[in-house]
Amino acid sequence: MNFPILSLMTFIPLLGMVVILFTKEGQDKLVRYLAAFFTFIPLVLSFILLSRYQGSTSQIQFVEKFDWIPSLGITYFMGADGLSVPMLFLTALLGFLSVIYSFGDIKEKVKQYFAFLLLLEVGMMGVFSALDFFLFYIFWEIVLVPMYFLIGIWGHGRKEYSAIKFFLYTLFGSLFMLIGILALYFNVEPHTLNIMVLIEKTPLLTRSFQLLTFAAFFVAFAVKVPIFPFHTWLPDAHVDAPTAVSVILAGILLKMGTYGFLRISYPMFPQGAMYFAIPIAILALINIVYGALVCMAQKDLKKMIAYSSVSHMGYCMLGIAAVTVTGISGCVFQMVSHGLITGALFLLVGVLYERAHTREIGAFGGLWIKLPVYSGLMILFCLGSLGLPGMSGFISEFMVFIGSYPAFKVIVPLAVIGVVITAAYFLRMIQAMFLGTFNTKWEGLSEISAREIFTVVPLAILMIGIGVFPSPLANMIKATVENIVHLAVR
Amino acid sequence: MDWIIPAVNLKLILPEIVVCLFAILILVTDPFLSKERKIWSAHLSWIAVVIAFIANIRLWNLQEATFTNMFLVDNYATFFKFIFLAGSFLIILISMSYLKREEILHGEYFSLILFSTLGMMLLASGFDLVVIFLGLEIMSVSLYVLAGFKRSDLASNEASLKYFLMGAFATGFLLYGIVMIYGSVGSTNLGQIINHITSNDAGSNLLIWAGAGLLLVGFGFKIASVPFHMWVPDVYQGAPTPITAFISAGPKAAGFAALLRVFLFSFTTIKMDWTMIVWIMAALTMSVGNIVALAQSDIKRMLAYSSIAHAGYVLVALVAGGETGVSSALFYLLAYTFMNIGAFTVVIALGRKGQDNTKLEDYSGLGSRSPILAILMTIFLFSLAGFPPTAGFMAKFYVFGSAVKSGFTGLVIIGVLNSLISVYYYLRIVVLMFMQAPVTRTDNERIKVAFCAILVLIISTWAVLQMGIFPQSLLSLAQASVSSIF
Amino acid sequence: MISSSPYLILSAVIFIIGVLGVMVRRNILVMFMSIELMLNGVNLAFVALSRQLGNLDGQVVVFLVMAVAAAEAAVGLAIIICIYRNKKSMNVDDFNLMKW
Repeated sequence: MNFPILSLMTFIPLLGMVVILFTKEGQDKLVRYLAAFFTFIPLVLSFILLSRYQGSTSQIQFVEKFDWIPSLGITYFMGADGLSVPMLFLTALLGFLSVIYSFGDIKEKVKQYFAFLLLLEVGMMGVFSALDFFLFYIFWEIVLVPMYFLIGIWGHGRKEYSAIKFFLYTLFGSLFMLIGILALYFNVEPHTLNIMVLIEKTPLLTRSFQLLTFAAFFVAFAVKVPIFPFHTWLPDAHVDAPTAVSVILAGILLKMGTYGFLRISYPMFPQGAMYFAIPIAILALINIVYGALVCMAQKDLKKMIAYSSVSHMGYCMLGIAAVTVTGISGCVFQMVSHGLITGALFLLVGVLYERAHTREIGAFGGLWIKLPVYSGLMILFCLGSLGLPGMSGFISEFMVFIGSYPAFKVIVPLAVIGVVITAAYFLRMIQAMFLGTFNTKWEGLSEISAREIFTVVPLAILMIGIGVFPSPLANMIKATVENIVHLAVR
Repeated sequence: MDWIIPAVNLKLILPEIVVCLFAILILVTDPFLSKERKIWSAHLSWIAVVIAFIANIRLWNLQEATFTNMFLVDNYATFFKFIFLAGSFLIILISMSYLKREEILHGEYFSLILFSTLGMMLLASGFDLVVIFLGLEIMSVSLYVLAGFKRSDLASNEASLKYFLMGAFATGFLLYGIVMIYGSVGSTNLGQIINHITSNDAGSNLLIWAGAGLLLVGFGFKIASVPFHMWVPDVYQGAPTPITAFISAGPKAAGFAALLRVFLFSFTTIKMDWTMIVWIMAALTMSVGNIVALAQSDIKRMLAYSSIAHAGYVLVALVAGGETGVSSALFYLLAYTFMNIGAFTVVIALGRKGQDNTKLEDYSGLGSRSPILAILMTIFLFSLAGFPPTAGFMAKFYVFGSAVKSGFTGLVIIGVLNSLISVYYYLRIVVLMFMQAPVTRTDNERIKVAFCAILVLIISTWAVLQMGIFPQSLLSLAQASVSSIF
Repeated sequence: MISSSPYLILSAVIFIIGVLGVMVRRNILVMFMSIELMLNGVNLAFVALSRQLGNLDGQVVVFLVMAVAAAEAAVGLAIIICIYRNKKSMNVDDFNLMKW
């Protein structure tokens, strides 16, 4: 029996949640440190995970497998491969950083807030390491509950509305996934919910069954990504959520959708992948261009970044739809890089909002003069987000385009327009907020604090690191991505 | 004519005997108890339930009929009796403080609960339509009285009256159905009905068809399925809250016990013919229950509609049929018993004397007034909504799974969409509890929860989580319950 | 021997009168009596069928049904008296404290 690292990463935050719930009311400081401690352990573990991971093979590693509900063939099956390891690391990192950020941000009901934040981390870790459908579904759903409360209680604006909209949209999708899971379960002999076994067996099923099940899973994952007609929950949830929660929402929750495509839909239903390639690519194009255009029209900074997520996740989908090694590698790169960059952008927006109590782009101007450090960081991440060479965003977008061009010769050139628009709205925002004449109304703004810098610097290092040296990440995911492509073109 | 003394095996009806004797004992002793000691009747009644439960455990894995084949003990019946006895036990516990609070602590209340439990047990074990009828009546007549137990409260009277009228009306249909089956088969014994239907071409026998239809109507009233559900909201709202919880748990399960027994075991060879009707009933029951629940402003009424919806989910299991279908129905009913009683216990805990506090706005700010109650309520509501990792999710997973297995994917899609609707109204309470400030009220005192109610909350929370996270033991129990029949 | 069908038809008629009575009439007592009528329709059918089939089961059931009907009557009338004390009305439409 080897070291159960994945279970520990998943359940240590749960332990932390229980511990926090048993602290006395009013000991906010203790709660904060406890939360930091219980998210720091998974972060340490995730470094061990990174160092122990063998990138040369697509085998599932760190496997833990026990019978759970034998009469229904349900097992407790955790494991990680080149797809989940980067995601687990990202989860651990953003989980820890958002806890640190929340130190100053959250002043009411501190105990409950951190308890929910830890529960959220449990669900996300679980999703990325579960390899049994039942387990996967449970973690997938568990994520909703704390997210719902975090937005609904500690959010701003129309928070109850946004919370319930988020909840119902995602639940709508995942219930279709449930039907898909049940259908798979009963159509494979012997009945099993083991994702790895199902991947081997499902291509033998009839074409129409594959297409239907693919569609059911598509709805579930598309809501999460979000893909075009299902995206309307995202701006509401993002804008109304507290900063740290937006970070996790953008950084990790959206990745659960693309992760689902790569882990389940594509390897499991090659027929569906082939049949729906063009429609998905078109939806991805809509995501990219429509998302970017909507960004142009935004006056609210946070809303603009929220819509930029829609646009950026479109690149992921484009890479997936092409089913080439380069395209899917680009998608995984984009998942990581978008998590880093957008996470940092939301943190920085939170920093400004906490001081100025407004997020309107037009209300600021010339902040560079007053807040040089803050402005520098913000501009750095904006440049990263618009895909400046040397940063991770560039690598991923480049790979997506290279990888998907052979498959979609019309769509990809159109999608490149998205990059141009992205550059346009980010530059417009930089110009409006940081350059130009200083608006004296903001004379009293204070510079970004050390703790806040501490939360974004690791993200900046990683962003530039991946941009300059993409090979460690590329080596890590290579075998797995090749395997996915191999499975998806069966 | 030979006169045969029927072979009677009293051991098989020991649980029933215990419950019945204690019920009579309570009736007899209660008048002699002084006002302070009335609570002894309550203690007697839960002791009775515990003894019956133990007696019932000894019947596990037995498969024997007695009373000339009218009364059958098998794992199916025994499992249902576990559900009834557990439900009654919890209800007796929560009733004590409630009755004291409302100053209606009379012994006959507990006696009637026991009689009602007796009726349910007969329903589960009845292998003859007449026994099923008698069980149904013993159960229902006791419930009519219990629903009106707050004699001076007009709402309670009204609930009782409506329940009585609709219940008796339904009985008429059930009986007419029994007559028709008797007319064509020549017997009311389920075993002989099976033989008759299998040996003859029963599909063409109109009388059997009409009989089955009328039975479905009769049972439909008891399990509160659409279109026979109109009594449910009023009765649930008006009846004393513990009785509302009671009606929604045990009697509903008992109705299903008989319904599943009659339809899946006796009419099983003509299953394909009646499945379509039940399919429609299930779809309607789920949808009407959930959609109307959206518009409710009283929590008891809302839970009433949710209970209609849950009957719909169990009907899905009936449509699925087969071994998995029935065992999933059993598991669902078990899970539902605990989560529903748990939710109602919280509802009771919020009440004051003469003031039930069942409006939805009474729940706003509960999260800050009494965090533990609010958290428990949230767990129960999430379970009712079918959210992992709770019993409700496991149960729904199993029910929908059995339906997919039998090829009723369309019905499952309707069911799944309904779960989505249901999440909305369950979450509304959660929103009120945690995300809104309490409405200004005069009695902002701490909510005191009686010891017995705490016990009930602990038991039901434990059961809900146990069945959600480690369901294996109860799942295999449910599977073992049906394997003897198929 | 007269065939049992006239009896069965009569029982069906009585039953239907009962059903209609419950649905149409608004007086609680009349509704209650209509329910009794339904049960008696059932009894008649049981007796007739029992004779036609030549077994006594049906006759026995009738006794049980009568006993149950008596119990229901006792409880039902008690409920009606109780509600009449509180409301002084016999019309179901007056009992609209909750949506019917």
